[in-house]
Amino acid sequence: MLWIGLHLPWLSLESFAATLPPSALDQPAALVDAHRVSAANQAAREAGVLPGMKRGTALALVPHLLFGEADPARDAGSLQAVAYAALAFTPMVCLSPPAGVLLEVGTTLRYFGGIDALMQRLDNTLAPLGHRVHRARAPTAQGAAWLSQWRDEVVCADLTALHHTLDRVPMDVLDSTQIHLDTLVGMGLRHVGELRRLPRDGLARRFGEALLAELDSAWGTRPDPREPVVLPPVFEGHVELFTRADTADQLRHGTEVLLARLVAWLSARHAFVRRFHLLLRHERRRRVEGAAVTVVDVALAEPSRDAAHLQSLLHERLAALDMPAPALELSLHAHDIVHQPPPNTDLFPTPRSEHAGLVRLIERLQARLGADQVQRLVRVADHRPECGGLVMPYEPGSPPRPPEPAVVPRRPTRRQARTSGRHAPLPAKAAVVPRACPVEPERSVPPSRPVWLMAEPVPLPELQSRPVLEGRPLQLLSGPERIEAGWWDAGLAERDYFIAETTEGALVWVYRARLPLSGEEGWFLHGRYG
Amino acid sequence: MPVAIVPVAEPPPSAAAAGGNPGRLRSERPNPETLHPALWRGHQLGRPVGHGVSTGFHELDEQLPGGGWPRRALSELLLPHLGIGEIRLLAPALVAVQQAGRLVMLFDPPAVLCGWALAGMGLAVEQLLLIQSASHVSVDPVRPGPSRRPVGAPARLWALEQALKSGHVGAVLAWLPPCLSPDRLRRLQLAAQAHDGPAFVLREAAAQAAPSASPLRLGLRAAGVDQLAVNVFKRRGPPLLQPVHLRLPPMLPSMAARRAAAAAKVEVMAPAVSVRLPSATFVNLA
Repeated sequence: MLWIGLHLPWLSLESFAATLPPSALDQPAALVDAHRVSAANQAAREAGVLPGMKRGTALALVPHLLFGEADPARDAGSLQAVAYAALAFTPMVCLSPPAGVLLEVGTTLRYFGGIDALMQRLDNTLAPLGHRVHRARAPTAQGAAWLSQWRDEVVCADLTALHHTLDRVPMDVLDSTQIHLDTLVGMGLRHVGELRRLPRDGLARRFGEALLAELDSAWGTRPDPREPVVLPPVFEGHVELFTRADTADQLRHGTEVLLARLVAWLSARHAFVRRFHLLLRHERRRRVEGAAVTVVDVALAEPSRDAAHLQSLLHERLAALDMPAPALELSLHAHDIVHQPPPNTDLFPTPRSEHAGLVRLIERLQARLGADQVQRLVRVADHRPECGGLVMPYEPGSPPRPPEPAVVPRRPTRRQARTSGRHAPLPAKAAVVPRACPVEPERSVPPSRPVWLMAEPVPLPELQSRPVLEGRPLQLLSGPERIEAGWWDAGLAERDYFIAETTEGALVWVYRARLPLSGEEGWFLHGRYG
Repeated sequence: MPVAIVPVAEPPPSAAAAGGNPGRLRSERPNPETLHPALWRGHQLGRPVGHGVSTGFHELDEQLPGGGWPRRALSELLLPHLGIGEIRLLAPALVAVQQAGRLVMLFDPPAVLCGWALAGMGLAVEQLLLIQSASHVSVDPVRPGPSRRPVGAPARLWALEQALKSGHVGAVLAWLPPCLSPDRLRRLQLAAQAHDGPAFVLREAAAQAAPSASPLRLGLRAAGVDQLAVNVFKRRGPPLLQPVHLRLPPMLPSMAARRAAAAAKVEVMAPAVSVRLPSATFVNLA
């Protein structure tokens, strides 16, 4: 058995800092519990604030001291995130409240390539969570917990080394002696080893069986069964903000903490997230009806557990968000996850890594600009130029080489054509692929179509039976090419197209409408040859 | 008189011989162009790292440093208005990029693109990606449904800058907003250094007077039916006084093209001479 004990000495302060806006992180801050300071950060301690002080005393020392309430539930949440992160290394991870996590890694040492490599990876995994961690190694779980509370980087390879080290460990690490600490100190006991050498029956009579049990399990003379942490099937993270957040930048720190926890949970499940929600719970405004909760839904084209990428996507979405009221709480939910092997890492850029980079780039653009601002062109087999192409939003998940949409040629009957043509409303252009004309596309479309089409044909004045563009008559070079289509839907077009030259030498595409009854008459500019 | 216009691209052989004792000088001082690939002499074309992407036009390739559109740099094209043959000029390079299996991104095309015309130039239309960065869609929880709001130039260029910086895009073709400040362009040029492929930015012709950080600036002008005059305003090399005339892939049927050419000959010959005369006179005086 090889236990790694992790102890988080500043857990309550660090979990409090997660709720602060980034600008307040360097300010002196302290946590109060029942009007007494229970923990103070570095800046506050430098100013003289000590744990145990009264609130007023601390305020006299540092007038702008930031006070937060000590919250055991918040600390437990942070500790749980550390435990989830540790689950990536071994299934046997136990909580050792209030601020410890224990890992049994004897069974997974070989897989991770030795204890040093494993400790290195453990450090890298825990780093994004932003906790200061004391680590210790011992053959018993209780021993590892004590050693990590005592000081950082204590290593005991076997039981004899552990027994020697435990002799020097101070008494206050023991859980079961906290209430008797004054008595024990009054007896002249300083270290755990001295306590262990006292007569056992007397100890049990005066301080209870629990003390003996704790000592024995640390020494390894008594079995110490522990209940491992079990991963929940879905991730739910929660941060209550200390101050109200009005802008996306103020939310940034909170979302970073949540995403770091999400990534830790994902790596423990060996999974990747495909979609997650961020819930912003807003301040309730008096007499203002509105959503108290905003849901920001982030969907990924390719599952990922890269915290930086997820953060950039989420931040783009938050930057585009108009918050109805300041946000007070953040919750992150992820239930759409994918189990897949982790990607191989490449030394040199490969087509696959380029594809992954492209997918990320497109995701970022979509997150900032909106999903339907990233588009692709789709050709439609139709003679009418305005119906010959569609702009479709790029769909996440599909590769950048989408297949041409299958257009089924269908010839409607006369009756259908008349009813749909006259009375049916025009289908929305981007949503529905219009019915195609019953002619094969490739052969029938001549090569000389202009690249640029006007969104609406521009009416041109006529001078001596020649169309006039920008005050100068156009020279008709080629034509007419008659396009007469669309009798099967509302967009009937009967036009004679000409290629014309402007005075400067550019080519334009003009047509003369042949529908005097429908109000279209005269010359129109419809395209430019790019 | 026309002799004065000649020493533009290549110095006449007599110029080196006239400079005193050229043989001795050359043996003492190393040629600057052998010292570092980023050095070149005033009369030479610069040698960028790596070859450019061929433009598909032999006459233009000869005038561009690296023998084509530069990689890792902006190529700025100034045109009076859209539709003078700019897509036909760029299409061969874009087709080459697509055939290498890379992505072509178009930013803010100013009008509707006709997919059939692009396909006629050899482009794989379904592989093109269009980015409309001119308006943002904001997520408004109170009023469902996307609401578009116009954005300023920095936000519009954000998408282009991201695409250039990522280095995963094969080629970029962007229509920039008018009256862009030079530092915005400089930012883009810095971002383009990570972009291994051609990056075309198309701007209005009035931008010629504004300074620009892009190492290649071309002015485009229609010069007749299916012809394009390319003025090289700026390149890594000697200035080019006369425009390069390119014959674009014809859009007209052959019969109509012949008719147009015959008509043009009669009309355009006289103005063409009168255009050339002032430039020759100017150089002669200098």
